[in-house]
Amino acid sequence: MMTSYDLDDAGVVVIVGSGAGGGTLAHELAKRGVEVVLLEAGKHLTPDDFVNDEWGGYEMLSWLDKRTASGTWRAAKDHPFSPSWSCQVVGGTTTHWSACCYRFIEDELRAKTVYGDIAGASLIDWPITLDELNPYYDLAEAKMGVTRTNGLPGLPANNNFKVMHAGAKALGLNVSTGRHAINSIPYDGRPATIQDGFTITGDKTGSRWSTLNVEIPRALATGKLELRPQSRVVQVEHDEAGKASAVVYVDAAGVTHRQKARAVVLAGNCVETSRLLLHSKSARFPDGLANGWGHVGRHYLRHIIQTVWSIFDKPVHMHRGEIMAGMIDDYVRHDPARGFAGGYYIEMNSMGLPTTAAFLEPGWWGRDFVSVIEQYRNMAGIFMSGEDMPQPGNRITLTDELDAFGVPVANIHYDDHPNDLKLRVHGYKTLSAIHAAAGAKRSIEAPSYPASHNLGSNRMAAKAEDGVLDGHGRAWEVPNLFIADGSTFATGGACNPTLTIVALAIRQADFMAERMAAGEL
Amino acid sequence: MNETAITAYKDPKLPPPVDLPEGPEWVGVLKVFDAHVAETLVAAAHTLYPHQTLPERVYRRTVVAFDALAARMPAVAQGFAEFVDLVDGAMPVPFRELSESYRVNTLKGIEATPAFRLVQRSTVRFLYDDLEVWQAFGYEGAAVQLGGYVDRGFNDLDWLPEPPPGI
Ligand SMILES: Cc1cc2nc3c(=O)[nH]c(=O)nc-3n(C[C@H](O)[C@H](O)[C@H](O)COP(=O)(O)OP(=O)(O)OC[C@H]3O[C@@H](n4cnc5c(N)ncnc54)[C@H](O)[C@@H]3O)c2cc1C
Repeated sequence: MMTSYDLDDAGVVVIVGSGAGGGTLAHELAKRGVEVVLLEAGKHLTPDDFVNDEWGGYEMLSWLDKRTASGTWRAAKDHPFSPSWSCQVVGGTTTHWSACCYRFIEDELRAKTVYGDIAGASLIDWPITLDELNPYYDLAEAKMGVTRTNGLPGLPANNNFKVMHAGAKALGLNVSTGRHAINSIPYDGRPATIQDGFTITGDKTGSRWSTLNVEIPRALATGKLELRPQSRVVQVEHDEAGKASAVVYVDAAGVTHRQKARAVVLAGNCVETSRLLLHSKSARFPDGLANGWGHVGRHYLRHIIQTVWSIFDKPVHMHRGEIMAGMIDDYVRHDPARGFAGGYYIEMNSMGLPTTAAFLEPGWWGRDFVSVIEQYRNMAGIFMSGEDMPQPGNRITLTDELDAFGVPVANIHYDDHPNDLKLRVHGYKTLSAIHAAAGAKRSIEAPSYPASHNLGSNRMAAKAEDGVLDGHGRAWEVPNLFIADGSTFATGGACNPTLTIVALAIRQADFMAERMAAGEL
Repeated sequence: MNETAITAYKDPKLPPPVDLPEGPEWVGVLKVFDAHVAETLVAAAHTLYPHQTLPERVYRRTVVAFDALAARMPAVAQGFAEFVDLVDGAMPVPFRELSESYRVNTLKGIEATPAFRLVQRSTVRFLYDDLEVWQAFGYEGAAVQLGGYVDRGFNDLDWLPEPPPGI
C-alpha cells in the first residue's frame, strides 16, 4: 500500500511534475526521510502500455494541450499550437527522451564573463560553479547508468553511426558513440538495450533510465512518497507571510482539491512552470508568484537544434538501434574565431518513416519531396544541439484563452538572435559536410522540430534582480518555493539538459533536507 | 529500385490496417465524407505526394483516416469541406477530373489557406503511417516483439569502413 497524506497535512513537501527534475527530487527527498506528495497531471503507465509506434507513442505520452507561438522561430509557422514538445505522464519527458548525457563545461557556466557583452542578449553567469556541480554530476551519472562512466561501456556502433563515423574521420573530427543513460550491458536491475529504436515511445524493456522506471518506484519503496497521478495543478497559494502554503489541483474526476504544503516545488517543464507562476496572482504578487523582478517566463531558451538528413547510394536502415548513439565534440568550446558565441554538440538522429516525413520540412509537397522520402532506406540523420542566446523578450506569457481547467493558455514568443542564426548556419554546413564526406548524394537541412530542450524561463541568478531563483533553485521572493526543472538554467549551454537537471535536483534535495533539519524550512 | 528484403510490422497492440474493397464501393466505409468529397481528397493526396509505385488503396486509406478525424472533430470536418470547395472552385472542371499540372497549380494557389494546411499535414501524418508504405520504402516499424535489432542487423551496414570496437 502506498503511503497517503492528508490534504490538510502541512508537513509535506509538494512537488508538481514527475519528470527529470520532479521525479528525481521526489526520490532524493524521500530517501532523506522527507514526506513528499508528488502531483502529476498524466497517467501512471507501465511498460506494457507502451507501443513501438511513433505516432501511437506520441499521442500516448505527449502534452497535447494547446499552446500558441509567436516570433521569428520556425515553430511559430510549422507548429503554431504545439511549439514545445514534452510529455504528460508519470515520468514526464524521461519516458520519451533519447538519453544523451553530457556535462556543462566550465565556460558555459560563466557565459557572461566568457562571451562578453552581446547586443540583445541577457547573458548572466550561473550562480554555481562546475566544481560545485561536479560531485552531483557523478551521482547523477551513477544513478542513471550513463555509458562511459562508472566502468560502463559505450553503446555499440550502429548503421547510422557508421555513416557519421566515416564522414567524421574523413574530416579529422573526434567521433564516438557518446554517452547515454541507456544500458549497453545490464546495470542496476535493468537489461541491456535490444536496439529496438523505440526509446522515444516509452522504452518497453526499460534499458533506458527514466524517473518512471527508476526514481519513482524507489521513492515509493521508502514509504515516504505519495504519488497522485492525473492531478493537474492549477494554482499555488501563499499565506499572509508570503510563503507558499498550498497547491490547488484537479483530479481525474474533475474534482478540485487543495493540498497544504510545508514547501512547494514546481517541476512541470519550463512552459508549465512559468505558466503556473504567472497564473498564481494575488494582491501581494500581482504579476504572478516570484515575479517581482519581472523575470518569470523570460529568457526562454530552446537550444539550436536541427537535423540534416542525407541520402546515400546504399541502404542505411537508420531506424535500427538506439537513435542518438553518436557524438562529435570538436565544436563544443566557445571559439570567437568562428564568429559567434557558444558552441554545439554534433549528435546522431534517426527517425522512422512517419516522423521523418513529418519533420523533414513541414509544408513540403510534390515530386521532389516524394523522390527524397522514397529513399528512406538509404537515409542517414545527423543532429546538433547548440547554445542559444537568452533574450528578455523570448518569453512565456498568458493569453486570453482559458484551457479546460480555467488556466490561460500559454504563448511562447521566440525571436532568433543573430548569434543563433550564425551558429545555425555553421552547424548546418558542418553536418552536411560530414555526410558529404561519407558519400551523401543529397542532404536536406531540416528545420528545428518543436522545442524539446525547454530551458531558462525561471532562471537562477546570483542577484535577485537578475532572475527568479537563487543558486539552489529557490525563489528569491518566496523562501519555501522551489523549482526543479529545466527552467532554472541561468543559460543554456550546448549539451542536452537532462543530466544537469538531475544533478541539480540531487543538489537541491541536499539543500532542502539540510534546511529542514535546521528547522529553517 | 534498390530492394533489400525487409518486413514491416505494426505494433501488435495497435488495430490492424483497414481492409478496403478494391472498387469504387470503398467509400461505403466512410462515416462523414460523401463519394465526391472522398474522391477529391484522394486526388489531392495523390497530387501532393505522387508516389508512382504506391497503389491507389494507400491514398484511400489515408482518406479513411481523415474521415475518422472528421467524425471526431466537427471543426476538422468543416476544414475538409472547405478544401473541397476551394479546389473545385478554381477551374471550370472539378478538381478530381483535372490533369496533373492543373491540379498542382490549383494546390499552389491555395497553399496559404488553413484548409490546404489541414489536408497537406494530414496526408503526411497518415500516408506515411501506413504499413504498406513502410514496406515499400524500407521502414520496418515495430521491433520489440522480435527482440529488437540487436541480433537482426542494427550494425549490418557493410559498405563503409567498420568503426573500431569501443569507439
Ligand atoms: C524527443 C525528445 C528527445 C529528448 N532527448 C533528450 C536527450 O537525449 N538528452 C537530454 O538530456 N534531454 C533530452 N530531451 C529533453 C528532456 O526530455 C527534458 O529536458 C527533460 O525531461 C525535462 O525535465 P523536466 O523535469 O523539466 O520536465 P519533464 O520531464 O517534461 O516533466 C514535467 C512533468 O510535469 C508534469 N506537469 C506539468 N504541469 C503540470 C501541472 N500543472 N500539474 C501536474 N503536473 C504537471 C508533466 O505532465 C510532466 O510529467 C528530449 C526531449 C524530447 C521531447
